[in-house]
Amino acid sequence: MSLLNNAMNHSLDDGYAQAAARRGAEGQSGMPRTVRAKLGLAGGLVLAALVVTVGAAQARVSAPELAKERQELISRINEGDKRTDSLQRRVDGLRKDVEAKQRKALEKHGGDEAEVVGLLSGALPVHGQGIKLVVDDAKDTQDSDTGGPRQSSGFSDNGRVRDRDLQRVVNGLWESGAEAVSVNGQRLTSLSAIRAAGDAILVDNKPLVPPYTLLAVGPGQKLSTTFQDSADGQYLQVLKENYGVRTSISTQDDVRLPAAPSLIVRTAKPVQTGEGSRS
Amino acid sequence: MIAVLGLIVGVVAGLVVRPVVPTLVEPYLPIAVVAALDAVFGGLRAMLDGIFDDKVFVVSFLSNVVVAALIVFLGDKLGVGAQLSTGVVVVLGIRIFSNAAAIRRHVFRA
Repeated sequence: MSLLNNAMNHSLDDGYAQAAARRGAEGQSGMPRTVRAKLGLAGGLVLAALVVTVGAAQARVSAPELAKERQELISRINEGDKRTDSLQRRVDGLRKDVEAKQRKALEKHGGDEAEVVGLLSGALPVHGQGIKLVVDDAKDTQDSDTGGPRQSSGFSDNGRVRDRDLQRVVNGLWESGAEAVSVNGQRLTSLSAIRAAGDAILVDNKPLVPPYTLLAVGPGQKLSTTFQDSADGQYLQVLKENYGVRTSISTQDDVRLPAAPSLIVRTAKPVQTGEGSRS
Repeated sequence: MIAVLGLIVGVVAGLVVRPVVPTLVEPYLPIAVVAALDAVFGGLRAMLDGIFDDKVFVVSFLSNVVVAALIVFLGDKLGVGAQLSTGVVVVLGIRIFSNAAAIRRHVFRA
């Protein structure tokens, strides 16, 4: 506190008091008398006024300067964003290119069975007789219709279709003789994964929004009956009866399934003729 | 009379000439302004107290500005420029306030 007290009590420069004391001894009065002294004082005042004015002017000048800098930064950010967007578009285009080439390569290396391999691996879009199976959350499930999968309260409540329900249904379809399956327009391949992340069901890491529409290509009515009689069909029936999960199954004359978005072969290589093992 | 003229000349010169402040000195300008205000208020109070001395005023003004800028410069070099300028502003601010209070007492007798 003594520091502050000091600053408070000695607000006036001590030099004034000393000068006054000196003058008092010499018998002079306070204000400058000679022209020289007056000019000196005037010079000091000029300097003081100059500093204050320049300070104020500088503050006014630098204000738009700051705004300009800010604007420049914003424009640079926008530019960077644009560049990122264009790069992203290029990435997307290239990815599509690679996918097409991969698909073509897969077709080619399928040899005589190119079509069959393409169809079964999901590399080609398919159509044909099949069934349409719609699975939806129970009616009283919160937010299932409005907010999408992410805003609802999660899998805590029993009326929701979970990832493992969908897994069982899909596996049941395969088992019952389906030749190709898609969920909400996503073609399933041998490497597809149906998982849950938080509240959403993901197929190949893409979140789905209920209702889940499964399309399966297969021998229509037979596929439908086989599925409904299988263990997984029964499971779905149990879900419907006990938890109110809404399902509907119908045979279709012609279902169209898209090709799988990306067929990535990570480690497998085609067997070279001649050196392949024939175990 | 000459003194008042000097004041006006200073303001007008600052406004008209608009001297470009070198970027090197720019960070110390706000501090210099506060120091100058402190000297001016001190001089005004001394005048009202009847102990004004022109030499003391000019010298105190110059040294105030230089020392304040020097402290901030040193602080910048040491990496504590912001803190030191805060300290300078606080001390000078207190002085300006108490000088202004003294002037007010002189002028309004209250």
